[in-house]
Amino acid sequence: MAQMETEVLIIGGGVLGAVVARELSHYKVDVILVEKEADFGWGSTKTNMCIVCQGGDTLEFRPEYHRSKLVWESMPLMEPLCRELDVPFKRVGELALIRNNEEFSKFQKLKSKAEKLGLTGHQFIDQDNLRQMEPNVTREAIAALYDPNIAIVDPVRLTIALIENASQNGVKVMRETEVLNISQKVNQFEVETNRGSIQCRFIVNAAGTSVEKIARLVNSDDFVLYPIKGYVGILDKNLGDLIKHEIHMRPDAPGQMNILTPSVHGNLFFGTTMQPARRGDYSTTRRIAQIGFENVRKIIPDLSEKDIIHSFAGYLMFRNWEVGWHECVVQASRKVPRLISICIGYPGVSAAPATGREVVELLRREGLKLEANSKFNPIRKASSVFNQLSNEQQKELISKDSRYGHVVCRCETVTEGEVVAAVHSEATTLDGIKFRTRAGMGRCQGGFCTPRVVNILSRELGLPEEKITKKGRDSRLLLYKTKQLLGEER
Amino acid sequence: MKFSEVDVAVIGSGPAGMAAAIKAREEGAEHVLILERQEQLGGLLHQCVHSGFGLLYFGQDLTGPEYAHRFIEKVRDLGIEILLETMVTQLSGDRKLTAINRYEGMIHLHPKSVVLAMGCRERSRGQLSIPGTRPAGIFTAGTAQRLVNVEGFIPGKKVVILGSGDIGMIMARRLTLEGVEVKAVIEILPYVGGLIRNEVQCLHDFDIPLLLEHTVTQIHGEQRVEAVTIAKVDKHKRPIDGTEQVVECDTLLLSVGLIPENELSRMAGITLDPLIGGPLVDERRETSVPGVFAGGNVVHVHDIVDDVSWEAEIAGSWAAKFSQKGDLERKEKITLKPGRNIRSIVPQTISGQSDVTFYIRVKEMEEKVQLKVGDLYQRSFRVAKPSEMIKVDLPVKELKKLDGRESELNVECEKGE
Repeated sequence: MAQMETEVLIIGGGVLGAVVARELSHYKVDVILVEKEADFGWGSTKTNMCIVCQGGDTLEFRPEYHRSKLVWESMPLMEPLCRELDVPFKRVGELALIRNNEEFSKFQKLKSKAEKLGLTGHQFIDQDNLRQMEPNVTREAIAALYDPNIAIVDPVRLTIALIENASQNGVKVMRETEVLNISQKVNQFEVETNRGSIQCRFIVNAAGTSVEKIARLVNSDDFVLYPIKGYVGILDKNLGDLIKHEIHMRPDAPGQMNILTPSVHGNLFFGTTMQPARRGDYSTTRRIAQIGFENVRKIIPDLSEKDIIHSFAGYLMFRNWEVGWHECVVQASRKVPRLISICIGYPGVSAAPATGREVVELLRREGLKLEANSKFNPIRKASSVFNQLSNEQQKELISKDSRYGHVVCRCETVTEGEVVAAVHSEATTLDGIKFRTRAGMGRCQGGFCTPRVVNILSRELGLPEEKITKKGRDSRLLLYKTKQLLGEER
Repeated sequence: MKFSEVDVAVIGSGPAGMAAAIKAREEGAEHVLILERQEQLGGLLHQCVHSGFGLLYFGQDLTGPEYAHRFIEKVRDLGIEILLETMVTQLSGDRKLTAINRYEGMIHLHPKSVVLAMGCRERSRGQLSIPGTRPAGIFTAGTAQRLVNVEGFIPGKKVVILGSGDIGMIMARRLTLEGVEVKAVIEILPYVGGLIRNEVQCLHDFDIPLLLEHTVTQIHGEQRVEAVTIAKVDKHKRPIDGTEQVVECDTLLLSVGLIPENELSRMAGITLDPLIGGPLVDERRETSVPGVFAGGNVVHVHDIVDDVSWEAEIAGSWAAKFSQKGDLERKEKITLKPGRNIRSIVPQTISGQSDVTFYIRVKEMEEKVQLKVGDLYQRSFRVAKPSEMIKVDLPVKELKKLDGRESELNVECEKGE
């Protein structure tokens, strides 16, 4: 087994681990980031609703919480970050629908609270203006609180871009590397993984739903988190024009939320229903799907279940769930020196930029020496997205590399050139290709492109098709060759 | 070929596209061009290695590739131009078309007329919102068919098939012949979704269990499918508590319906039928955009391939006429109105000036019914099922009885003999 050494080990390649890695690459520090899955951002990051908020827009807003501060500090950082990393960012604004006077007075209080903190832009919209801004939302809404700052991103692409930029600047990243045990030595940790042991002086624990588990490996138990399960549905692109803003509605039942939002790729996302559940159980149920759909129909009454192309569950880690509100974890362990644990709960993506900076500050306080990396390059260039290009650009791209003239995914017009580029930027699985290129994310959900993508993966990775997986580990797609089972005993 | 000289451009080369192109050429269109996104002509026919094709069209029992081959030869003989591995990415309301491939790069065309023959796609797990985990091992039946028959792979060893559409039943037999254990075919309705001949030849003849009025209520397994929970459903298709059973399997195939593929139609601003998803067409198979015709499964999903080719021939023939004359004579239109227990009627409008064949589907299975088209036609059925398309031929002499007085014609399925 390999023996590695580093100054800082980041555990977890979600958006938070990635943002810390990129932040640390500003400095001359040895950093290794380990991710247990086959690709980055596959935990809570990929089930995020894609919204970047500044806080002060939902009734649950509590300015006194640290989480809120990280969110509003992050807001001005997100757009420049996305520009540097060449990932899509779109400011769409949010409308929190108001259905009665009781809601109106609650939102009035919220607005003045947000303004006192210096959050800007909130304004009330009357019914006529609301109709003009969003003609398709329910007639029950008599007004709305408008927040023009709200934006949307692609959280997985942001995470991959952060990781790529961090590696460009010297951070070492390892996938399919799971932390099994951690022992404390004098002034350092010995971290045992399935790929050998890593000696490090500092640990940033950004392990998402496993953040407590990792902390407990070194007997640090400063916080308790409750896994809360949420449900997200994706609507067909044909309905992409139904709304222009992110729409929030106050849930009618406790423990639920109700959001419908555009995404940077043209589909609408709706999210709902938060309930405590067993960690690691990502299954959806008929009931949760029904509640989700009933809720979104309160926002847009004439939606049909046929408009849903995909749905899934995700986890938010809530601290203080028992008192009905939650706080994040961004802290150095009280018991164990040089161990920083981070977990935002929600909204993790929105809070990421400021969290990255704060973690670096915490590491400095714990004794990490930070000397600027003069070679740091903040710019990362995304590979070409064929269907986003003009005709002229498409023509030029095909003439340079004919594989861009071969469409592999018909729903999203993804070309072979893009799939090959994704493999060369280290996608090794069907889902990896999906999140990097969108092949398989359209309305046929991979019906057409799956065999084609498997062929390309097999060819580019030099692996037989039967070894290609959906998402790493034991998720092989094609178990046998034809004729292989004949003559075998049942 | 100069792309600027195309008379009729046909998008797709399955049983619809080739039939339309051949007909257009035979009716005198000089430059007919087929644009096909796959490596060869024939669309999905190549993966349909079973027989049952062409019984009506050729009077012979052919496999999919054999059926395709007959058309391919004719396409070649008639000098129809072909662009393979070519994806049409844009179609405008004035029939301007953009396509890409790796050889020519980007191609711009402005054909005199267009035939849409893109066929249909399968409904996915996401559209059904089947609850459970998201492991590897869930495929649509058509994707599995390609994997087995074209790519040479077997997705898994123990398979459950949800939905008794034709491809699902055919794959049940195909996989059984490959040594796979097909645990069951599960159908939510009280009758199979596909043809009776497939129920008999694919399921009964191979002792594959068929569970009617059942559905999959949960998918299990983190990495690979490990099992599914199935349950009986009530008459509202809701699972009945206490009837659940867990079926161990490594693969779930879905054969739960087909949807006409109309991205390009939408792009061109063509009006679609909200219920069946294909373009609204008249008896010439002209869409709401003049000069753009459509035939086959892109309009509505047929039961058998022969009807697909026949319907596309209508589109091809009128596309040829349009390309020669620059337009077609516009006549008063009569709109077909779906009445009691009628799900769909194609064509949706007619002129009343020529013979027409209607393709009709009922909403729900019903015994002892009478199908009526206005006062012009009626026929009794012992049983009418949504899975069996009803064809009604109305000769022009019958339609002339309308005498231009009616702008609507009601189609309904009445109870009673």
